[in-house]
Amino acid sequence: MALMPEAGLDITAPETSPASGSWASPGVRYVVRRILAAVATLIFVVLFNFFLFRMLPGDPVKLYTRGRNVDPEQVRKLTAALNRPLGQQFLDYIRNPFAANVDSVKYSQPVWSVIGERVWPTLLLVGVATLIATVVGVWLGIRSAWNRGERFDRISTNTTLVLYSMPEFWLGMILLIVLGVGVFGLPGLFPTGGLSTPGVDTSSLRGWLDVAWHLFLPVTTLAIVYLAEYSLVMRASLIDEMGQDYLQTARAKGLMDKLVRRRHAVPNALLPTMTLIFLNLGFVVGGAITIEYVFSIPGLGGLTVDALSGPDVPLLQALFLLFSAAVILANLIADLLYARLDPRVRT
Amino acid sequence: MSVRLPRIMSLIVGAAVVSAGLIAGAAQADTASPSPAASADAKATLTVGITQDIDSANPFTGIVASAYEIYQMQYPTLTNYSAQDFSIVPGLADSWQESADHLTWTYKIHSGLKWSDGEPMTAKDAAYTFNRIINGEYEQTNYGNYVANITKAVATDDTTLVLSVKAANPIMTHLSIYILPEHIWSKVSEAQVKTYKNEPVDGQPVVGGGPFVMAERRVGQFIRMTANPNYAGGPTPIREVVFRVFQNQDAMGQALKKGEIDFADGIEANVAKSLEGIPGITTVNATYSGFNEVAFNTGAALSDGKPIGDGNPVLKDLKFRQALSWAIDRQTLADKVYGGAATPGSTIIPGMYPAYHLTPATPYTFDPEKAKSLLEAAGYKAGSDGVRTGPDGKPIELRLFGRTNSANSKQVVQFVKGWFDAVGIPTTVTMKSEDALTEIIGQGTYDMFEWGWVVEPDPDYQVSTFTCGQRSYEDAGSVLAGLSDSFYCDPAYDKLYAAQGSETDQTKRSDIVKQMQQMVYDAAPYIVTVYYNNLEAYRSDRFTGFVPQPSPSGSLLFQYGVWSYVNAKPVSSAGEGTQPADGSSGSSPGWVIPAGVLVVLIVLAGLVGWLLKRGRGGEAADDRE
Repeated sequence: MALMPEAGLDITAPETSPASGSWASPGVRYVVRRILAAVATLIFVVLFNFFLFRMLPGDPVKLYTRGRNVDPEQVRKLTAALNRPLGQQFLDYIRNPFAANVDSVKYSQPVWSVIGERVWPTLLLVGVATLIATVVGVWLGIRSAWNRGERFDRISTNTTLVLYSMPEFWLGMILLIVLGVGVFGLPGLFPTGGLSTPGVDTSSLRGWLDVAWHLFLPVTTLAIVYLAEYSLVMRASLIDEMGQDYLQTARAKGLMDKLVRRRHAVPNALLPTMTLIFLNLGFVVGGAITIEYVFSIPGLGGLTVDALSGPDVPLLQALFLLFSAAVILANLIADLLYARLDPRVRT
Repeated sequence: MSVRLPRIMSLIVGAAVVSAGLIAGAAQADTASPSPAASADAKATLTVGITQDIDSANPFTGIVASAYEIYQMQYPTLTNYSAQDFSIVPGLADSWQESADHLTWTYKIHSGLKWSDGEPMTAKDAAYTFNRIINGEYEQTNYGNYVANITKAVATDDTTLVLSVKAANPIMTHLSIYILPEHIWSKVSEAQVKTYKNEPVDGQPVVGGGPFVMAERRVGQFIRMTANPNYAGGPTPIREVVFRVFQNQDAMGQALKKGEIDFADGIEANVAKSLEGIPGITTVNATYSGFNEVAFNTGAALSDGKPIGDGNPVLKDLKFRQALSWAIDRQTLADKVYGGAATPGSTIIPGMYPAYHLTPATPYTFDPEKAKSLLEAAGYKAGSDGVRTGPDGKPIELRLFGRTNSANSKQVVQFVKGWFDAVGIPTTVTMKSEDALTEIIGQGTYDMFEWGWVVEPDPDYQVSTFTCGQRSYEDAGSVLAGLSDSFYCDPAYDKLYAAQGSETDQTKRSDIVKQMQQMVYDAAPYIVTVYYNNLEAYRSDRFTGFVPQPSPSGSLLFQYGVWSYVNAKPVSSAGEGTQPADGSSGSSPGWVIPAGVLVVLIVLAGLVGWLLKRGRGGEAADDRE
C-alpha cells in the first residue's frame, strides 16, 4: 500500500500543513513523510498484533501437558501464569513490544533468542535465492523483450511460464529425488536436507563449503520459482517501453542499439520490477515455508508454523512484529528509491 | 564485437557461478569421504532420522518425545524398564528396599561410578536431584507427580540413597527422574534453570552419566551424541549417534534410501510401504503403547459437579453408549485407515503392557443389528425415516469432531459417521485443529470426538484421566480443562484409583487396575478403536543387534530405556578399513562425484556453446535493424 505514493499520505498529513514549502525542500519533505508513514504503520501493527493472536483458539498448557505426568497443581500454576487479565498483559506488552526477556511458551527461551537461531538459515536461503533470481530474471526479461518473438524469447518465455506455474513443493521434491538421492543408477550429488554436516565446524572454509553444498538444491528451487516472476514482469514492462516514441528518437539520433536499451529503455522499464523486488525483499525474513519443509531447513517459516500450534503467543507476536517491520522497511526503501528513479514521485 | 563481449561475459559469469556451486559440492564430497575414515570408526556412527526436533536439552524444560530420548541416553535413572516386558530392573541402583511401614525407601547405588567428565557419580548426586525437584518451583513442572509423595532425599553415604515418603506408593520402584551431576547443576540457580540450555559449550560435551552425551547441537538440524567414556556398562559398539531432523516424512524416507541416515522412526504407512523390499533396508511394524478412541461427552461438568457445555443428553445414558459400542468395526479401521499397522482396541491399557492390560471377557464386536436392537430396547425408537428419537421425542443428531492435524483422524471420523448413520443415529462430522478441539473438549461443547493417548508403562496417569477430580475446573471466572475428556465420573472408580495408588504389591495393584479397566469398558465413555503400531525402518546392511521393547515385536528405538543404543552394532564386513568411502554414512562412493561433475560440466559446456551461437544470431538480427 505504501508503494502507491498518493495513498497513505493523509495519515501523516498534519506536519505538512502549517508551513508547507517553507521549512524544507520538497525532496526532504517527501522523505520525512515516508518515514513517518512507515512509523505510523508499524505502530498500528504493534497494536493489532496483540489482539490478533489472543483470538486464536487453544489452551497451550493443556496441549503441552497432554499425555504427560504433570502434577495437576503445576498445570494450574502454568495456566494461571498464561491467563493473566488481558489489560495487564496489554500493559506488559505495550511497555516494550521488543522486550528481550519475554519467554516463548514452547521453548522456554527468550523469544528473540529463539528467533535469532532461526533467522540466519532463512536469510541465507531466501536472500541468496532472491539475489540470484533478480539478476538472472531481469537479465532474461530484458533479453526476451528485446528479441521479442525470436527463438530465445520463445524458449525463455515458455520455460519461465512453465516454471512459474509449478508448485515449489513439487519442484523441490523432484530436485531432491533426482539430484539429492539419484535416479537410474546415477548417484545423488547433494544432501537431502539440513544446512550442515554434523561435526563440521561452520566457521571454517570447509564449513562454508559444506553450507553451500547443503543450500544448493533449496536455493536453486527457490530461485527458479522467483526467477520466472521477475523475468515475465521485466519482459512485459520493457515491451511496453519499446513502443514509446522517445526510443525511436534515440535510435533516430543514431545511438547504438545496445545504448538505446541500456540508457533509455531499461531504466524506465525497471520501475515495476523494482516494486516487485522490494515487495519480495520484505518477505525474505518470512522465509519460504514450503522450501524449508521440503529440505528440512530450520528457518523462520517452519518456526511460525510451530508457534501456531499451541499457540505460542509470545513467539508468534515477536515473529509477526519482525515480519511486519521487514515489509514496512522494504516498502520504505522502495518508496525512497522510487523517488530517486522517478522524479515525478517526489512532488 | 563490442556488442558481443558483455553477453559472453555474463555467460562466463553464469557458468562460473554454477561451477562454483559444483566445485563446492565436489570439495565437500571430497572432504566428506575421508573425514569418517579419519574419525576412529565411521561405521560406528548411527544416524537416526526424526521428524521432531528436541524443544530443549534441559530435562527440566523439554516436553517432546525426542527430547526425552536424549535425556535417557544422557542421564541414568535409579531403575530401568526391561526390554523384555517392562519389568523393573536395576539402573543406577543395584537394589532397593521398602521399609515395613512403607514410609522409607532405601536404594543401593552402584559404587565406583563416574560422570563423563571423570567426577565421581554417587548417591549424593541422586539426593541432590531429588531435593532440587522437591524444593524447586520450576523443577516440579516435569517431575512433580513423581515427587509429590516424597518428603526428602538423603544420601547416607556414597552408595545409599534414602527417600522418605508420605504414604505407600508403587511409583517408588520406577521413578523416571534423570539423575543429574550435582557439580554442574548446583551452579545453575533456581532463577536460571528455566532458560538454562544444557548444551555443549566451547566444544565440550554436556556432562552426563548415561551411555551417550550431547557433543553438538544445531537447532532444527541435528543433535550429535558421543559415547560416554566413563559409561558404567562399558564401551558401546556404537560410538556416536546423530539425530537428524527432517521436516517431512518423504524426505526422511529418501534419506534412508540414499543411506544418509541409518534409522527412521515413527514413519507414516505410505513411506514405510515405499521402503519395503529395498535391499539393505528392513521395515519394522512394532507394537506400540498408543491407542485411538472415539470419546463421548458423558455429561460435562466441573470437578465440583456443576454442569457445563452442551453435550447431547442421550450420551449420558449408559445403554445408549453401549449400543453404539457395537456399531463400530474396529478391524476395518485397523486395516483400511492404518493399513494393517494397528490391531482392534478394547481397554485403556494397551496389550503391550501385559502386566496391567485387561482383555475383556465379552468384547464389543461389530454387530450393527445388535446395536439397533439395544437402542430399540433402550427406548430409542426409529422413525419412518430411520432416524431414532430421544426421550424428548426429538430426532437424535450427534456432532463428531475429528482432528485436521491427523490424516488418519479424517478417515476414522468418516467411517464412524457411516456406521452411526446406519444404526439410525445421524452424525455430523466437523474437523478442528487440535488446539481448537482441546478448548471445545474442556468446555464440554461436543458430543463425540476422535483422539488418542500414548500410555506409559505405569498405568497411574492413564487411569487417572477417568477420575471425577480430573474434570474441568473454574478459575478466575473461566472454565479450564482437566485431564478428563469424557467427563466420566464414578465414585467407586475413584476409590479404586486411590487404592491402586497406594498398593506396592504389583500383583494386587494389577488386579485393581484391571477392575478399573473393566468399569470403563462397561461404562463406555470411550470406544477404544485401535491400538496402533509404530513403524520404523533401518539400514540392516549397516547395523544389527537392535533390541525390541517389549520382546519380540516392540519398537527398536524410542523405548523406555536405551537398550538398542548400547547393544546395536555395525554390521561387520570383510572390506572394513580398505574401502573407507563405501557405506560411510552421508556420502556416495568416492568415484561418483568427479564423474558426475564431469558429466555436468560437459552438458554445461554444450549449453554455453549453443547459447553463444544463438547469441550471435540474435545480435546479427539486431544489427540489421
